[in-house]
Amino acid sequence: MDFDQARYHGWEDRRLQSPWMACLAIVRVALMQVFRNKAYWVVLALGSLRFLAFWSIIWAVTQLPLPEETNNMFLKEFGFTAGNDADQNNGYMRFMEGQQIIVMILLAFSGSLLVGSDFRLRALPFYLARRIDRRHYIVGKLLAVSSIIMLLTVVPALLLFVEYGMFTASTQYWIDNWQIPLAVLAFGLVLCLVNSILLVTLSAYLQRIVPITITWATIFLLLGSLSGYLRRATEDERWRLMDPWWDMRIVGRMIFGSFQTESESELAMWATLLLVGVCSVALVALVHRVRAVDIVE
Amino acid sequence: MQIVDIHHVSRSFGSVKALRDVNLALRAGTIGLVGNNGAGKSTLLKVLLGLLEPDSGEGTILGCDIRRASRELRGRVGYMPEAAALIPMLKGVEYVSFGGDLYGMSHREAKRRAHEVLNYVGLGELRYRRLDEYSTGNIQRLKLAAALVHDPQLLLLDEPTNGLDPAGRMGMLELLEDLIAETGKSIILCTHLLGDVERLCKQVVVLDRGTVVRAGTMDELRAHISGRWLIGWSGNERAYREALSAAGVTFTEPDETGQGGVMVAVPEGFTTRQFFEIARSCGAVLTELKADEENLERLFFRVTAQEVPVTA
Repeated sequence: MDFDQARYHGWEDRRLQSPWMACLAIVRVALMQVFRNKAYWVVLALGSLRFLAFWSIIWAVTQLPLPEETNNMFLKEFGFTAGNDADQNNGYMRFMEGQQIIVMILLAFSGSLLVGSDFRLRALPFYLARRIDRRHYIVGKLLAVSSIIMLLTVVPALLLFVEYGMFTASTQYWIDNWQIPLAVLAFGLVLCLVNSILLVTLSAYLQRIVPITITWATIFLLLGSLSGYLRRATEDERWRLMDPWWDMRIVGRMIFGSFQTESESELAMWATLLLVGVCSVALVALVHRVRAVDIVE
Repeated sequence: MQIVDIHHVSRSFGSVKALRDVNLALRAGTIGLVGNNGAGKSTLLKVLLGLLEPDSGEGTILGCDIRRASRELRGRVGYMPEAAALIPMLKGVEYVSFGGDLYGMSHREAKRRAHEVLNYVGLGELRYRRLDEYSTGNIQRLKLAAALVHDPQLLLLDEPTNGLDPAGRMGMLELLEDLIAETGKSIILCTHLLGDVERLCKQVVVLDRGTVVRAGTMDELRAHISGRWLIGWSGNERAYREALSAAGVTFTEPDETGQGGVMVAVPEGFTTRQFFEIARSCGAVLTELKADEENLERLFFRVTAQEVPVTA
């Protein structure tokens, strides 16, 4: 070490950015943490595999001279056609719904790493003793989780939309279906908001990977099974509202305009209100948890 | 220049009064903040960090109002927490530069400063290692680097030598001494290790049950206990003791210093010549006579046990 490096140097350039820019730093670090963890590569690979499958189907449907019954088989599974109708919207929506399963698995395991560790390893002082408030911390963490969700749902869905238009060899597809990317973004926003608020709140309270995973599975699997059982037992579709996964899917169908049954259209507004209510309560609990008084023991 | 100027600051948590009418005026320099568990050190640190608003009172820290300018205040203060405060999966330079990002530095500047401060604290060769590979001593240096990245005016160090072996502790103290000498930064050192405070700090604040029981320079605090002497003698021990007691001298039993002498407190007006005269009259010979230079540890136990009347 030469003499100059051994001495302390002051910081001459004292220009500071807005504290909200710290949220981007929180997102960047969160993505680094996730992508450095090799255990998550398996889940990310599954998400990519599904995207490649849809990519291939779009290519096949648009490029290959396939018989109509073959096209119909693809339609049934993936919902894509070469025409402009509601079925086409279903394709993107189904893709995002299917990616949601992979997102759930990834979030269940990464909540402890991204948020729980701040409380478990007492890293909250690292954030709150700096030039940010707890709202910047909370928004940064919500954006961090949302960015992971978007990488697996919104970004690939938009890429599929671009691909479809490219394979139709004209810009008319994009012009005629301008609502699709907006619907993708809106549905993505719903998925990001609900999942990020629930995960960050859960992780702030539970902190460790096992309790977070169990609780996450309880919310999305157990409640879903229970709602299905109660719906069949009572023949009342309103029990479906118990399942937060179903609630998000119904809101997505409302955004894409692709309800499959009449009951879905009736329950869509209730599902929206329920999600807003649950997220509001979770947000209040999260704000309470991130208390500055915790940071100095 | 006063870096801390707070008046009548109080803070309660429910029925617990963590801070009671605290008045502090601290000049720039190195300040030791000492106190037992539950004395209010942590609460005072939170107020100094601008994270906690007091129930009553007002004041400024580095010219920033403690009630209205807490974020600006935290931008000027570097905090080194007691806890590990690590972020998993990050490397050393990323951890420090992330700290710079959170202070509002541009990412490029934060990275550049991270490399600089890591070199300064002696972690230049470990900067690309993951945090879970760092030893306890290196983690403490890393936290210090993260507190220095934005070149703050004031450093708050919470137990900086916590968990370090003697060599590590010595290294950290030498680093802090070097930092103080080179930069002239003000440091508030919160620690249970009174030896660290004696070595580094020119000013001391002693907290007990939410109140400042002593605040001042080390010299001022030591001068407060004048009138105490360590004496040793040979010859007629009992006669000399009785003669000194008759002259108003108080013996402190048992011997607090552990140095083999006896600590006595003399009344006002008692001169050192009188020790010799009384010894001669009793047939004793004075072998040791030393003014009590009370160290911080003894002072701390003394003031928190309320042996000396509490003054502001």
